[in-house]
Amino acid sequence: MSRTIYKIAEYVLTFFFIITLNFFLPRFMPGDPFTFLSSDAGDVTVTCSQAQIDRYKSYYGLDLPLKDQYLHYIGNLFTGDIGYSIYYNDDVVRIIGNRACWTVMLVVVSLILSGIIGTIIGSLSAWFRGRLFDRAAYLFLVGFSEIPAFLTGLVLLFVGGAWLGWFPLSGGIRPFTEFSSVISRTADIIHHAILPVLAMVLTRLGDFYLLSRSSMLTVLSRDYMRTAKGKGLSKPRILFGHALRNAAIPVVTRLFLSLGTIFGGAVLVENVFNYPGIGRLMREAVMVRDYVLIQGIFIFVALSVLSMNLIADILIRKMDPRIG
Amino acid sequence: MGSYTIPAVQDMSIRLTKAMRLGIVGESGSGKTTLALAIMGLLEKRASVNGSIRFAGTDLQQLSEKQRNPYRWSRIALVFQNSLDVLNPVLTVHEQIWECLVRHTTLARADAHETVVSLLESVGMAAEHGPYYPHQLSGGMRQRVLLAMALSCDPEVLILDEPTNALDAVTKTDIINRIARIQQEKQFGLIVISHELQTIARLTSRISVMYRGRIVEEGPTGTMLSLPLHPYTRGLVHASPDINPWRDMWGIPEESETSEFSESSEFSGNGGCPFVSRCCQKTDICQTRVPSLEPAAPERRVACNRGGIVTLLQGTGIHKHFGVNGTSVRACQDCCIRVRSGEAAVLIGESGSGKTTLANILSGILNPDRGDIRFNGEPVVRSRASRRKKGMQIIFQDPYSAINANLGVEQAIREPLDILGQDLPEHKTASVIRALQQVGLPVDDHFRRRKCHTLSGGQRQRIAIARALVMDPAILIADEISAMLDPSTQANILRLLKGLQNHHGFAMLYITHDLAVAQKIADWVYVMNHGKIVEQGDARQIFTNPAHPYTRKLVGQHFPEITRKTGDIPSSCVKNKPYVITRNPALAKAA
Repeated sequence: MSRTIYKIAEYVLTFFFIITLNFFLPRFMPGDPFTFLSSDAGDVTVTCSQAQIDRYKSYYGLDLPLKDQYLHYIGNLFTGDIGYSIYYNDDVVRIIGNRACWTVMLVVVSLILSGIIGTIIGSLSAWFRGRLFDRAAYLFLVGFSEIPAFLTGLVLLFVGGAWLGWFPLSGGIRPFTEFSSVISRTADIIHHAILPVLAMVLTRLGDFYLLSRSSMLTVLSRDYMRTAKGKGLSKPRILFGHALRNAAIPVVTRLFLSLGTIFGGAVLVENVFNYPGIGRLMREAVMVRDYVLIQGIFIFVALSVLSMNLIADILIRKMDPRIG
Repeated sequence: MGSYTIPAVQDMSIRLTKAMRLGIVGESGSGKTTLALAIMGLLEKRASVNGSIRFAGTDLQQLSEKQRNPYRWSRIALVFQNSLDVLNPVLTVHEQIWECLVRHTTLARADAHETVVSLLESVGMAAEHGPYYPHQLSGGMRQRVLLAMALSCDPEVLILDEPTNALDAVTKTDIINRIARIQQEKQFGLIVISHELQTIARLTSRISVMYRGRIVEEGPTGTMLSLPLHPYTRGLVHASPDINPWRDMWGIPEESETSEFSESSEFSGNGGCPFVSRCCQKTDICQTRVPSLEPAAPERRVACNRGGIVTLLQGTGIHKHFGVNGTSVRACQDCCIRVRSGEAAVLIGESGSGKTTLANILSGILNPDRGDIRFNGEPVVRSRASRRKKGMQIIFQDPYSAINANLGVEQAIREPLDILGQDLPEHKTASVIRALQQVGLPVDDHFRRRKCHTLSGGQRQRIAIARALVMDPAILIADEISAMLDPSTQANILRLLKGLQNHHGFAMLYITHDLAVAQKIADWVYVMNHGKIVEQGDARQIFTNPAHPYTRKLVGQHFPEITRKTGDIPSSCVKNKPYVITRNPALAKAA
């Protein structure tokens, strides 16, 4: 019981620390939102007069001392009001909401795919340790995981998008199109998502592969595997009932900890593919110093990391009776 | 990295008939567990197994993994060596027993759950323990679970690998009793692998002793433990306080040089007897010849180039009488006595029973009326056996008359060496100094020049002992030597002699009327009364369960607790139970 309380306190404290950091970090960056107001990056910059800047600052409450701003921020946060974007002139929650589903889809799909594929190849690699399959898989997957996602993405874009022309070059869905049915709409979304998902799967695969391979190797050498074999159990029972149940524990942990990056995890890939997700939004928000939006995004990122940590925590307790 | 193979088990043959109980004994690393895993087909792929493992006519070695599975567990089950990792950490105890039943029996899944509960109960666990995970169990409970798991499919052969390792005494006894009872009930063949002789003694009827992957001795459990024939077996028995609770523990000397290389060359099969580096009775042939298992006694086989522990001194049918004032006193009547290499035989009896006469006859000082005495197989005639190194030495009861009081200390001790005339003078002095150190006397020039008549009785006795030790004897006959010694010196001397026994195979015939000392040092006991040897046996048997009325009386006078405790208990029980001194009668009744 006291353990649970301790755990809850730990999460609350972490959350507070994050939202505080979240408030101060953008404010310590050089520049402010009004330098960039109504100007697109790369466009001609409209410079506001000092009077205009002061007016906007007091309008957004940015002329108050940091302490008061902070208290406002905390207070609003707890009433669910995250704020109003200075640059986009829209409610932050709505902006994030519009973008979130794209990123969530991208990250979840790529993580699940890389998790499953990585675990299968990793387990087989452990089973055939030292044979050709093991060596080839090891070389290929570890090699790929060393290449950053945006580079893989660029190569895919060149080959699959530009050269072969099989996939669209950018975006999450074909713009300005009326889709006749949900199916054709979904098909278009999938068509757009294939390259970014592939880029992310290729990068993450090595991670899951290495983890499940070493985990499986450890498990296979354990005494209880000999016990299971000695009991004359069937091969599937030994593999799935005994080996995988132990070997999967660290893999599932890693999967959920990675899911924590569900919002922020695709920044580079989204920028390469010009994908309309949170990652691109974040870059834009930082470029224009949109404090409120940055804060909003970071809060979502923090919340997702914390909640996935929590789920991982609970799940591990369920899977491994030795913990908790 | 170079790879090499190490044979863990070599040329090993065992036979297990229905309901037979076989023990496999050996130190850790002797290949016991490898044997068990080979039988189950569980050795890693790196290990190669040659030979055949036949079960009811089928050679298990020829079967594929799939064909082998029906034999595993349902016909041959193994209680794995207990470790934290031996059970799957993420499955409950119940589940791990249940899956065996589901796999190998025709029980419905629901019935199997009930069977698990009754299995748990049969090994002394409660049904509530079923949902426990392995890490929530103590070592003893884990052992019980392993046992329940192995028993689940009613195997025809049960192999127990170290079933009582690291358990407390109460749990150990309980588990042993349960195994014994279940075996009796179900009549399965039992193989017990253990280095704990107490467990082996209780659970098995035959023993095979393994050393470095080979069987060095085999035979029925009872006689194997009371009269081991191989020096290694004896070493194991001597190292086990369970077998004889009084005797000092002595391990088998570890070999002086051990390296991967020498070990593998020994294993190669041309290196001679595997035990040679630790054996105290090795000869040249042991370096080159691998002994095979040969019959040595009824139902006993031993693998030793010298046919097992050699007999150093054997006296058969010794008769001696003295004429006193016209009447004849029969000091020895048909006495038979045997002292084996590395053994401490103790001759007990009251004064006047003929002990000293027998000692003098055995050492060649007195001639018997009849009888045959042999030392190392050669007849003992006068001083032939005693006037040489590695021979027989006797230390007499009375140091005053045993040593010429006018000799100097060094002179007295080196006298036998002088008579022998083999060593250089400086070697002799070195021997004298070493012997003096061993018996705890000063070694300076002044002391070595002192006349013996200036010394006390105890000091003179120690000089007599030193005089025997300079001859580096193979056997020492010690006639009541402790009578003159203070307790501390006596303890030192006895430990010295036992140490020589353990390291060099030095044997001793110790003659005493002090039963407490006898109990402490004896491996084998002879009881003498009125010139006859009335009883002999291994020390534990003589002191816990004396058969002859005279022995009972003698032991009863010295240790009233023992005879009271054992008087009405059948010998078979006593053999397997550690003996307990009960001082409080009320407690005794409660027990």
